[in-house]
Amino acid sequence: MIRLRRTVLFLLGITPFIYIGQAIVRLQLGEWEVLGPEPGKAVVWFTGTWAFNFLLLTLAVTPLRRLLKQPWLLQHRRMLGLFAFFYATLHLLSYFAFLLEWRFAELGAETIKRPYLLLGMTAWLLLLPLAVTSTRGWQRRLKQGWKRLHKLIYPLSVLVAVHYLLQIRSSWFEPVLYAALVLCLLLLRWRKATVTKHADGHNS
Amino acid sequence: MIIKPHNPSDPLASEITPHSLYLKRRQFIGQTAALALAVSALPVQAIQTRDNPARAGKPWLREQIGSARETVFGEDEVLTPYSSVTQYNNFYEFGTGKDDPYRYASKLNTDPWSVTVDGECEVKGTFSLEDLLKGQQLEERIYRLRCVEAWSMVIPWIGFPLADLIKRFKPLTSAKYIEFITLEDKKQMPGQRSAFSTIDWPYREGLRMDEAMHPLTLMAVGLYGEVLPNQNGAPLRLVVPWKYGFKSIKSIVAIRFRETMPRTTWNDIAPNEYGFYANVNPQVDHPRWSQASERRLPSGLFKPNRIATRLFNGYDEVASLYSGMDLHKYY
Repeated sequence: MIRLRRTVLFLLGITPFIYIGQAIVRLQLGEWEVLGPEPGKAVVWFTGTWAFNFLLLTLAVTPLRRLLKQPWLLQHRRMLGLFAFFYATLHLLSYFAFLLEWRFAELGAETIKRPYLLLGMTAWLLLLPLAVTSTRGWQRRLKQGWKRLHKLIYPLSVLVAVHYLLQIRSSWFEPVLYAALVLCLLLLRWRKATVTKHADGHNS
Repeated sequence: MIIKPHNPSDPLASEITPHSLYLKRRQFIGQTAALALAVSALPVQAIQTRDNPARAGKPWLREQIGSARETVFGEDEVLTPYSSVTQYNNFYEFGTGKDDPYRYASKLNTDPWSVTVDGECEVKGTFSLEDLLKGQQLEERIYRLRCVEAWSMVIPWIGFPLADLIKRFKPLTSAKYIEFITLEDKKQMPGQRSAFSTIDWPYREGLRMDEAMHPLTLMAVGLYGEVLPNQNGAPLRLVVPWKYGFKSIKSIVAIRFRETMPRTTWNDIAPNEYGFYANVNPQVDHPRWSQASERRLPSGLFKPNRIATRLFNGYDEVASLYSGMDLHKYY
């Protein structure tokens, strides 16, 4: 049962990648309109949105498990988190490749000048060790440190939310919705943490 | 089979109206019109040649646009394909997505259309579009359009100098500025119903009088030899090619001559990001991105077609309007 669920989840998670992948292939074969006249920007937005979606899903596992009393949900948190990392990496790479054209000198100057870039990159750097240590082996090796390390997801989620909020132009609906979801998911943790302060500390 | 990858920043031959054909555009339009006449006898469903109802327009307007005079403006530029010009727009009245205007602008009814003129001028009143265009020799001008978002297009506009229009209203010497206002109608413009918008409708723009009278400043009623599609600001829009695109207000319903500088929409929302002047200037960054270069559309994935941005978008002849002004301060 768990393997079936994992397979289904994997296929769902990879679908946005397949979608954007086929669009890029078609684009390179001459269907230039498939992603609009600014395909680079379209790819960066698409991968960024999906990274954020998976980040929210990862954060939602623990509260949902508690709410629905479905302990098996926890078995899928790692894959959701890894998908968040996967799309965040594609987001960063497509920004470097398509918008910056690998001009790293400009990247340095731009990052210092534009806070939203700095926040986004910091968030990715914080996500990296979580992805690397996501295996059972690392979990064993780090013991209690693993749990502490993976609490980085909370501050990095805030960074990601602000990264998006800083790009508001005329409509604030989506950035504010995403930020509100992050806030809700973090508040649920905080409430739980204060309630069970002296309990087993099993949930994270 | 050899699959030859298409270099994405090179436009396909099919993307761009062939220059030779475009230079012979009156003949081309004539042929198209003849074809349209020939097929007009067919049932409506059979005519799918025009993908957008906005391209139709009233016969008198089509005729006037068809007889537009050719000019030398932008002759050497590669035109942005019609589909990009008409399907990639900022027109927040129809939504904030770039394809929202193309999807929703057909709800806008541009006929009948009238423009109210008042303020510091002798001739005031409400004028129909037909009145405003009566006897006006239209011309085609190929202008570069630079968006504040750091992309740009090259568009063959059909229109007439704003100065010609202004003179008809006999502005008083007290008129120092001119204000323009876009239609506000929640029924026709779904973006105006959004509860999440930061915009205080209706959209407003303005120019200093000498900018408005500059021979480059155009009132457009068409593009690519056709009636202006709704998403591009039908039936009447401003085109100020040396300023960022947001200055070129669309679907104008009111013109007011003023002594004082008018409020403008984007300046109201974020004065640190969008100035009243909004002159294209590679030296003055937007707070969130550099303005030193731009992506000329259509842009490719691996070769984004980036070009250096020029001061005043390359229209150096307007520089004298700003002599003595600190363009970092008056951005």
